[in-house]
Amino acid sequence: MIRTLLRVTGPAYAGPMRRTIALMTAAAVAEGLLLILLVPILRALLGGDPAGVWQWLARFAAAVAGYAVLRYAADLAGMRVGTTMLRGMYHRLGDHLARLPLGWYGTARVGEVSALAGRGLLAALGVCAHLLGPFITACVTPLTVVAVMTVVDWRFGLAALVAVPVVVAVQVGAARASVAADAATAARGDEAAARVVEYLQAQPVLRAGEQDLFIPLDDALRELEKASRRQVRAVVPVAAGTAVTVQIVFTGLLALGAWLAVDGSIGVPELLALLILASRAADPLLSLADVSGKLRAARTELDRLDRVLTTPPLPEPSRPVRPRDDGVQFDRVTFGDVLHGLSLTVPPGQRLAVTGPSGAGKSTMLRLIARFHDTGGGTVRVGGADVRDIGTEHLMSRIAIVFQDVRLFDGTIADNVRLARPAASDDEVRAAGAAAGLDFVDRLPGGWDTRVGEGGTMLSGGERQRVSIARALLKDTPIVLLDEITSALDPDTESAVHDALERLLTGRTVIMVAHRMRTVRRADRVVFLDGGRIVEDGTHDELLELGGRYASYWNLSMSGKAAGKTSGK
Amino acid sequence: MLRPYVRSFVLVVFLQVTGAVAGLAPLLAVAGLGRALFAPGAADPDRIRAVVLFGAAGLLIRLVCTAVSAGLGHLLDGRVQLGLRRELAAHLGRVPLGWLTRRGSGELSRIAGDDVAAVHPFIAHAPGELAAAFVVPLVSLIYLAGVDWRLTLITLVPVLAALAHVPLLMTPARTRDQRDHDAALGRIAAAVVEFVQGIAVVKTFGGTGRAHRGFLDAADTFVAVFTRWVRGVSTVAAGMQLALSPAFVLLVILTGGAALIGAGTLAPVDLLPFLLLGLGLTAPVAALGHGFDDLQAAGRAVGRIRAVLAVEPLSEPARPIRPAGDHVEMRGVRFAHDGAEVLRGVDLTLAAGTVTALTGPSGSGKSTVAGLLLRFDDPAAGSIRIGGADLRDIGSAELRRRVSHVLQDVRLLRASVTDNIAVAVPHATPDQVEHAARQARIHDRIEALPRGYDTILGTEATLSGGEAQRIAIARALLADTPILVLDEATAFADPPTDAAIRDTVAGLTGRTVLVIAHRPETVAGADTVLTLREGVITR
Repeated sequence: MIRTLLRVTGPAYAGPMRRTIALMTAAAVAEGLLLILLVPILRALLGGDPAGVWQWLARFAAAVAGYAVLRYAADLAGMRVGTTMLRGMYHRLGDHLARLPLGWYGTARVGEVSALAGRGLLAALGVCAHLLGPFITACVTPLTVVAVMTVVDWRFGLAALVAVPVVVAVQVGAARASVAADAATAARGDEAAARVVEYLQAQPVLRAGEQDLFIPLDDALRELEKASRRQVRAVVPVAAGTAVTVQIVFTGLLALGAWLAVDGSIGVPELLALLILASRAADPLLSLADVSGKLRAARTELDRLDRVLTTPPLPEPSRPVRPRDDGVQFDRVTFGDVLHGLSLTVPPGQRLAVTGPSGAGKSTMLRLIARFHDTGGGTVRVGGADVRDIGTEHLMSRIAIVFQDVRLFDGTIADNVRLARPAASDDEVRAAGAAAGLDFVDRLPGGWDTRVGEGGTMLSGGERQRVSIARALLKDTPIVLLDEITSALDPDTESAVHDALERLLTGRTVIMVAHRMRTVRRADRVVFLDGGRIVEDGTHDELLELGGRYASYWNLSMSGKAAGKTSGK
Repeated sequence: MLRPYVRSFVLVVFLQVTGAVAGLAPLLAVAGLGRALFAPGAADPDRIRAVVLFGAAGLLIRLVCTAVSAGLGHLLDGRVQLGLRRELAAHLGRVPLGWLTRRGSGELSRIAGDDVAAVHPFIAHAPGELAAAFVVPLVSLIYLAGVDWRLTLITLVPVLAALAHVPLLMTPARTRDQRDHDAALGRIAAAVVEFVQGIAVVKTFGGTGRAHRGFLDAADTFVAVFTRWVRGVSTVAAGMQLALSPAFVLLVILTGGAALIGAGTLAPVDLLPFLLLGLGLTAPVAALGHGFDDLQAAGRAVGRIRAVLAVEPLSEPARPIRPAGDHVEMRGVRFAHDGAEVLRGVDLTLAAGTVTALTGPSGSGKSTVAGLLLRFDDPAAGSIRIGGADLRDIGSAELRRRVSHVLQDVRLLRASVTDNIAVAVPHATPDQVEHAARQARIHDRIEALPRGYDTILGTEATLSGGEAQRIAIARALLADTPILVLDEATAFADPPTDAAIRDTVAGLTGRTVLVIAHRPETVAGADTVLTLREGVITR
């Protein structure tokens, strides 16, 4: 458990963690040891020497003070380690999530990761601050007390020792019994969380439905309840097992004591001190079931965290290679069932348009250049260097992407643009915004400081698109990838953005995925992609001449436009 | 909110209290043993046997009661959580969509997930522990007072010292820290949802290592707040813990007892019940202190759940009016987002059976018009009527039968293709689903998926934006409603698909269609073209 915790948090915390554990153990031992003074105190009080008790009481008070200091130091250390680790963990998780391949992120991940970052991290690290101390006390204090009992009377110590292996066995059994149930509950919890997010985001569609109930969500919730039911059934009997053992042993000691006392082979003050000691050993043991249950819950979270953190990110080169220029090359690239041995060379400064039917692999090409995934086979090169050898940091500094599906962060518009270059001045941000046609910002009540809402939902599709173009302009990279960007723009905006786009594209290597033929026409070269292969390759005029797939797209699109003009009145 | 569970709840509490009281028996047995052994004359074996048996019986009762109440309590907890989540889901399905968007799915999912889970101690632990924390000391106190009232008062000193710390946990500063703590945790949840969903952007701009700073900032704020909170609480908590520690309690009782015995006013054997029960006095108080944080957190969680449940859902008419026809009319419709007025008196008529195109610059409120016609929100002023009946008087069931939509931002469900298309018409036959898919020009693509129409989207296959849009078109075609709202329906389609879909839409004769369009091609074939500019129809 501690080992997993240290692996998850990183080696930097091993020292403070060990010190904390040592302090907690010392406090727990002290708590047990000082009880030995009960024997002389009770002997004095019950044996008719009340005046002789004060010297022992003074020692007892000193011992309690020593214990208090240790306990306070241990609590404080636990809290310190816990909070520093928490900050370190959030950063580790955040950095790691940013480095994981895009392929790792499925729909269900949103639920899993948000549960992990919220409740999960706190629960996992709460181990240090809240549970570790009580757990160590619950284990160490009873053992110390049993040792003390053995010193006072070996028969009692031996009888109490009987409980140790049984309690250990029961605890181990409880852990085994609940691991599966805990994991199942956690998995159901993730599923339910993902379904809740889905349900909320799909409200516009679901409200068109006839039924009030979203069946997948309700199923997920019922499965979660069933899993927690199984968890209760797995854990409660074993938890009761600890209590049974402890109580049987305590009753046994009571009977043994009665028998020995009647026998006269133990003094009455010693016997009573021993029984009080036994009750001191029993209490923490009874809380052990509760504490270790909570520890197991934290452990489940810890394991999930461990799984995410040990998921390998895309490998980074040990000695990064610098690209020679800004050309892009695909060399017999395959990817899943999308691309099948695609080869293509884009010289520096060329403006390439990629078109073709949906699902032809156009967006995948862009994603491979930006190394969201690694190829299944073949090589993607930028400036002659394999993208895997360039290193993410440097690769990203050369590429700007404008996506089809624009996601903004819940911050201000200025924040969202500035994301591209955090060091940019306000003037630079505004200049990029103006160039991208973000003039609507001035009409907003908060101007540049208007918050865009989760995912940018407070802005329209066209507005979000322009924010994302502004980002790319601000980033100012030699390679620009455009994914179907003018689809969501109205003609007014499109002509406004046209200039901005020209500014963005001039003098750079551009690969743009496009259906809109007007956009395509501005390209130096067009490739038509279908089924993961290039079926036509040439300039706009050459392809029209060819009279193939591209030409038919062009004609269809022009006829639509003509129709639009005539009926536009 | 929790009314249906009261009966089981009372049983759980009763068992827990009974168990806790029975737990006193073994301690009394030790004291009884001491008395028997110190009794004048030879020890009486029968009396001793009775004492031992009494202790054993008490243990047994405690054991049974505690195990049963823990089991029942947790099962009840599972039922309560299920019930609350269902209630929340049902309620969120009825509140205005605009409210939902503003609150964000991250925060709301945290309420339905973590906050409901935080109710756990409230149900499974706190009430029983609370009751035990009062009943057990009370029973002990009555017994001890019968033995010696002076030593009883002395025994109470550590408990009182601990309780004196409680107000320190509830100062305005602490309460504020705690509220900040919860708010900061909420922001983390929202930030992480954004972070993960926008991961592609994070990756592109992540080169500087600061693209995910929204998440990290939220985390840093949280850690700072959390540290402040823990610091504020930890000294107080440490003081409480020390006052309640067995070592300190023993010290107090022994000192008091020694003084009374030395003065000759207490029989030495009468000290025993204090040493045993006196420690028992603190255990429940300690449990209370331990559960205090959880309990407060649970209280705040319940507050947030209640706040969501208190949001007024869109009204349903007591007696729904059936629209006479499919003529749509908006009169003087006004609507504002966050105080910014988006629509400033929109008048618009969709003649039954005609196609109306609505164009205008982005941000002019076109999508808002579509949303209001679908009753995602109610307008602030003005009226929207279908067949002469106000949307608010039609009722949601009838409205669904009348109007369907294809929106710009298509959300696919993690479900089979068939379920995705048939989401509005769950009883559709496979033939009907396929027909709709063919009309929406997505059938061939579906056939190419690993398991065709049974493929689970999102896990077994991912569709492109254009494909998702065509699934949405198939949804709307399958719903087969007389009124159709298309918001940028073919924005991502390639030219052949775009043309084909336009043909399909043009072929939907007899339907009342509102097309929201940015592109002139989409307007082709419309009977009427209207332009929205700065919140009013200009033509």
